[in-house]
Amino acid sequence: MHEPPNVYLSLPGRPEYIVVVRQALTGLASVLGLDAIETNDLNTAVTEACNNVVMHAYAGEPGPMTVEVQIGAEAIVATVRDHGIGMGTARARAAGAPDAGAQAHDAGAPVGMGLAVIEALARRTRFGVPAGGGTEVHMEFALREHKAFEPIAQEPPGAFSPASGAVAVRLAPSSLAAAILPRVLSALAARAYFSAERIADVQALAGVLAANAGDALSAGQLAVGVSIAPRKLTLQIGPLRAGRGERLVVAGADGLAPVIERLTNAQRVAPAASGETLELDLVDGR
Amino acid sequence: MRQYMPLARGLARRYGRSSEPFEDLLQVASLGLLKALDRYDPGRGHAFASFAVPTILGEMRRYFRDSGWAVHVPRGTQERALRVRDAQARLAGKHGRTPTVNQLAEYLELDFEDVLDALQAIQAYETQSLDAPRPCADGEVVAYGETVGEDDERYELIELDATVTTVLGHIAPRDREILRMRFVEDLTQTEIAERVGVSQMQVSRLLRRSLEQLRTLAHAS
Repeated sequence: MHEPPNVYLSLPGRPEYIVVVRQALTGLASVLGLDAIETNDLNTAVTEACNNVVMHAYAGEPGPMTVEVQIGAEAIVATVRDHGIGMGTARARAAGAPDAGAQAHDAGAPVGMGLAVIEALARRTRFGVPAGGGTEVHMEFALREHKAFEPIAQEPPGAFSPASGAVAVRLAPSSLAAAILPRVLSALAARAYFSAERIADVQALAGVLAANAGDALSAGQLAVGVSIAPRKLTLQIGPLRAGRGERLVVAGADGLAPVIERLTNAQRVAPAASGETLELDLVDGR
Repeated sequence: MRQYMPLARGLARRYGRSSEPFEDLLQVASLGLLKALDRYDPGRGHAFASFAVPTILGEMRRYFRDSGWAVHVPRGTQERALRVRDAQARLAGKHGRTPTVNQLAEYLELDFEDVLDALQAIQAYETQSLDAPRPCADGEVVAYGETVGEDDERYELIELDATVTTVLGHIAPRDREILRMRFVEDLTQTEIAERVGVSQMQVSRLLRRSLEQLRTLAHAS
């Protein structure tokens, strides 16, 4: 059993999504005050774990990859998980085979090198099998300064499970969003072939949401689902307290309506299990 | 040694990405590989790779620490932000529409992720300074975006930052004071003009001259 995370990302296990993970971690590193070398260590280790999911977890079939980060008092733990057939040597390691990674490398398998890199960069590395099968790698990194962060308490009420092929981001406390959301959404927009000009709008929108969604949220955490199509992103933002989605997009008290309207192509408020979800379409209509 | 060079090369690529001249980093990785070969004791039952990987990574980490890489990274990002911003304008002019990240990366021979970082830096910079309303000398509140041309100076100074301190001694005292007011106290050209008792146009001219001087000195040093 592990603690609930502060950052949760679920993405398709494909190589082009690893940059999204790295952008999220770079944003998180800036919040935590990590220096460039610590940031590079974290990014490199998690990238290797993601590479293993991409290359080995689903035997070429598409499948989800999740990345979680838990911020503790003097360490952060990053977990990369898949629900596939496993990462080969990682599975062997989980089953207790010593030195499996390096032996695999000597035998020429790239997965072994990745695991050796992870073990060299993380302070502690643990392999496991998540509920429902697959593989998970926990990587612990030292954190010099203590910062208290509220974890994601639970699956937020009314949280949506994104359709397959979509991306889900959950952040707790929602104050993490200011550093992470602009990077994640602009990376996704870049992957959806948005122009640099439109990406600037996406960044601005993410900044506005991060700065203002705080008291509209019903659970103290921010969940964003993103569906990706060429030159189009659809965002689902929640879980919002009843009536708050409407207030964000209808001109009035919050004063955000003109900003959101200028930056997005369509705005909808959808009822959710408790409260509501704000849906925004972003199109790059060059 | 030759047998394991792909290992050193692979690690240099994975750990270093595009942040450092790759040849430099490869040299450091090779040094780590040599150390590992030297110290490896097959009698202890470990595979060579499980011994070499941490040794090579440790060598690269130490190189990053010693060379002040951690300090240079933000500067590199700022420099790339300038290049990306220029390329964006140039490609937009050429094709009549703003380029995608892929197009920028290809044009500038940069990594996709480096372009993303650059766009992030541009955005952070613009929200910080362009949108921040600041009081003017006459009490009027103006956004930075309206004070034309000043952001370019600031970009340049960030770029020059590391070398500036060493060459600042060569700048005439009054010009140095104007630079300080502009970039340390963050005063507008109008505010500086009032303090120094010259016109805003003259402040603009003096600043431009000082920056040119700094650039020449920085290149010479």
